[in-house]
Amino acid sequence: MAEKIVVTGYGIISSLGIGVDKTKEALLKEERFIGKVLHLQTEHTDIPCGEVKESDDELRRHLGINSDYIVTRTPLLAMTALKEALQTSGITDSTNTAFINGTTVGGMEKSELYYNEFFNGKHTEYITAHDCGAGTEQVGQLFGHFSFMTTISTACSSAANSIILGADLIKAGKVDAAIVGGTESLSKFHLNGFNSLMILEHEACRPFDKNNQGLNLGEGAAFLVIEKESNAKKRGAHILCELAGYANTCDAFHQTATSAESTGAYLAMSKALQNAGLKTSDIDYINAHGTGTEDNDIHESIALKKVFGENIPPFSSTKSYTGHTTSAAGAVESVISIIALLNNFMPANIGFSEPIDATGLKPITHTTKKQLNTIMTNSFGFGGNDSSCIFSKYQVS
Amino acid sequence: MSIYIEKIAQISIQSPLSDEWMRDPIYPTQRHCRFICPDFKQFLSPATSRRMGTLLKCALTSAFNCVKEENRTQLDGIFTGSGLGCIENTEKFLTSMLENNEQSLSPTNFIQSTHNTIGSQIAIAFQCHGYNITFSHRGLSFDSALMNALLKFKLNEIHSALVNASDEMSDAYFKLFDHTGYWKKSICTTDDFKHAISSGSFAGENSVSFLLTDKKAEHTLCEIGDIELFHTPSDKELIDRTTRFLSSYQLTLNDIDTVVLGHNGDVENDEEYNRISNLLVPHARKVIYKHIFGESFTMSAMGVYVGATCINQQHIPSHLLLQEGSTGHHKPTNILVVNHFKKIDYSITLLRSC
Amino acid sequence: MDKTLVQELKEEIIEVLNLEEMKPEDIDASAPLFGEGLGLDSIDALELIVLMEKNYGIKLKNASEGKEIFRSIEIMADYISKNRTK
Repeated sequence: MAEKIVVTGYGIISSLGIGVDKTKEALLKEERFIGKVLHLQTEHTDIPCGEVKESDDELRRHLGINSDYIVTRTPLLAMTALKEALQTSGITDSTNTAFINGTTVGGMEKSELYYNEFFNGKHTEYITAHDCGAGTEQVGQLFGHFSFMTTISTACSSAANSIILGADLIKAGKVDAAIVGGTESLSKFHLNGFNSLMILEHEACRPFDKNNQGLNLGEGAAFLVIEKESNAKKRGAHILCELAGYANTCDAFHQTATSAESTGAYLAMSKALQNAGLKTSDIDYINAHGTGTEDNDIHESIALKKVFGENIPPFSSTKSYTGHTTSAAGAVESVISIIALLNNFMPANIGFSEPIDATGLKPITHTTKKQLNTIMTNSFGFGGNDSSCIFSKYQVS
Repeated sequence: MSIYIEKIAQISIQSPLSDEWMRDPIYPTQRHCRFICPDFKQFLSPATSRRMGTLLKCALTSAFNCVKEENRTQLDGIFTGSGLGCIENTEKFLTSMLENNEQSLSPTNFIQSTHNTIGSQIAIAFQCHGYNITFSHRGLSFDSALMNALLKFKLNEIHSALVNASDEMSDAYFKLFDHTGYWKKSICTTDDFKHAISSGSFAGENSVSFLLTDKKAEHTLCEIGDIELFHTPSDKELIDRTTRFLSSYQLTLNDIDTVVLGHNGDVENDEEYNRISNLLVPHARKVIYKHIFGESFTMSAMGVYVGATCINQQHIPSHLLLQEGSTGHHKPTNILVVNHFKKIDYSITLLRSC
Repeated sequence: MDKTLVQELKEEIIEVLNLEEMKPEDIDASAPLFGEGLGLDSIDALELIVLMEKNYGIKLKNASEGKEIFRSIEIMADYISKNRTK
C-alpha cells in the first residue's frame, strides 16, 4: 500500500478573521461575516460580501512587511495564511518541497484601479504584478527556498486542484512535502463579472434553500502543509489528519451551467471515494460547494443523491459564513473541514429554511457536535472544473 | 514506462498547422507579431465559435487538429498552460466596466476571461470528463501543465493527454508591457538573438497542442522523458537534479547532443541561457527558436515543439542554430529543452528519438 | 405589432450574440429563441437582458424574468414597447 499523505500544518484568513482559532470560534458560535464592503472601491455598495476586515496596511503590519513593499491584496492574504500554516507544521527546511498556489484574480485588484494610468507609464510595478504567477512568486520567496513553485487557475476549484497536485507529487516521490492552497482578494472585476451573470444575492446567502437568490462573494486564503507520513514522523511533526483521497474531473457541458445529470460533480465525489478506497457510508460529513445559486445547489443535490443514494451524510455549505472565496474556496473549506474533523463538530448551513422542491435535501441548520472520522469537501468551478477531497483522522500506520 | 509525443498542432506567427518554418521561416517585421490564423470555418462551426475570441478559436483548432475525432472522448486528461489567459476578453470587460461605471456589463467577456476557459472549452468540445487543469505561472505555465501530465502517466492514472499552451498579446497589453521594458524599441533581427547587446524581445502569440500517449504509434514524433522544474536553483542543484533525472533513462549529460534554448534577444536572458547550457552540456549543439516565434509566457512550448520536430525529421535546419556551422554530422537523438523565466523559474525537459 | 421594432431587435440580436451567419430575414419573429429555433442558451439570455437595459432602459431584477419575455422576438418586442423608458 502506498504511503499515507498527512496534513501537518494549516493556516487561514477569511471574513471570519485571521487564523484557525478565530475561524473555529465563529463556526461554533454560528457567526457569519457578510456585509457591506469597506475596502473594495465599487459602485455596488448594496451587494454584501464576505470581505476580510483587515486593510492591506493592517495585513502588512501583521506580517511585518514594510509599507513601501509593492504587493497586491491577493498575495498579502496568501502570506497571512501561509505564515500560520508553516508555524503550525513546524516545517523549516523547504528544500524538496513544492509550493502550489491557486488563484485567478491575481493582481487585478490593482490593475483595475490603475489601468488607465498604466498607459501613461504610471504604476508600472503593478503591470508586472498583474498575472497570477506574480503573486505566487512573491509569497513563495518570502517563506523559503522551494524546490519549485507553480500556480493553478481553474476558477473556483483552483485551491482544491492545488491540494490534489501536491498530493500527486508526493505520491510519485517527486517531493517530500508540498505547501498547497489558494488565495483570492475581492476585485471590482469579478464582483461585476458575477453581477453580470445575475447570480449575486443582495442579502446574506442561503445555500440549499428553496428561495436562494445567488451567492455572496468573499475573499481569503488558506494553505495546508502536506507531506509523506515518514517525512512528518522523521521530523517529529504533529500530524493533524490524513488526506485520504481526491479527484479532479470535468463536467464538459457548458461554460457556466451544469449538466442536467451533474456528471462532473458526481464523478468528482465518486472518484474521490474510489481514490481513498472508502465506501459512501464512511463519510461522516460533507462540506458542500453550496454557493447559493439555483444552478449549483440543485445540481450538487442531484449529484449527492446519485453518489450517496438514500443515505446522504449530514452536509452544509460554510459559504454561508465566509461568502464564496472563489479560487481560495477549496483551501478555505478544507481548513474549515479539518477544524470540524479535529474538534468533532459540523458547522451550520446558515440561512436555510426550506428545501428545494426538486431534491428536498436539508443541510445541517445548527452547528452540531458529532464524532467525525472522515469528511469530504467539494469545489466546483466555472467550465465544469469539479474536484473533491477527503480528509480522515490520522491513524498511526 | 515510456511516454510519447504522438502529434503536435500549432498556430503561431508562423504558417498555421504546418512545419513550414523548418524550411522557410517567417522573420518578424514588427515588434508585435500577431497570430497567422487558419480558416477557422474549416474546423469550428459558427455555433461553437460565435462567442470565442481569437485565442480560444486558435486553441480549439489546434486541439481538433491534434486529436482525431474518434479519440476525443477517451482522452484521459486535458492540461493547459496560459500566462495571461484570454487577456483580450479580460480587457474588454475591464474597459467596459471602467467606462460604464460598473453598469450594464455584458457577461460574455467575463465568462471568457478566466484562464480555465481554454481547457474547459476543449473539454466541452471533446466531451472529455477526465482530469482537467490550467496553470498560470508566468514563464512556467506550459512547463507546469506538461509536468502534471507526465506525473499522471507515471502514477499510471492516464494513458493519453492533451497538453495545450496558449497566449495572446493584445494591443493594449503590448503597450503596457512596453512600459516595463519587455520589448525592444526596434524590430528584432536574427543577430539580436545570437549576440544580444540590449534588453527586450519581440512579442509573439502561440497556441500549440500536444497529444501524449504511452504507446508508440506509426507517426509518433519522439519520446518525452520527463520535465524538472526549479526555483532559483544553485548551479549544483541544476546539475544534480538534471543528472539524477537523466540517470533514470540510463543517460548522462554527455549523451545530450542538442540543447534547445530560449534566447529572446534580451541580453540578460540570453547570457543566462549561454551560462547554463555551458554549465550542463557544453558539448551540445545549441538550437534557438524565439527568433522566429517571438516571446510569450508559454513560448517554451514552442521549444518542445521545435525539439520534437527536429528529432522526428532527424534534421536541424541551419537557421535554428545559435552558432553557424555547428550542425555537425550527427543526428539529434537526445535533446534537452531548457527554459528559464527571468532567472527565477527554470525547467529542463528531455526528448529522445524512438 | 411594431414591425420596425421587430426588425430593429433582429438586427441587435444578431450583433450582440454574434450570429455571424444569420440575416434578419432568417429569423422567424414568432419562433422560440431558446432550445429549438435559434438555439440560444443561458448566457445569451443574460446578453438580451443587457440589451434591453442599454437600448430600451428596461431593467430586470432577476434572470428568471427573462424566460417569459424571451419566448420569441414578437413577445420581446411587445414587452419592450409596453415598458421602454428610452
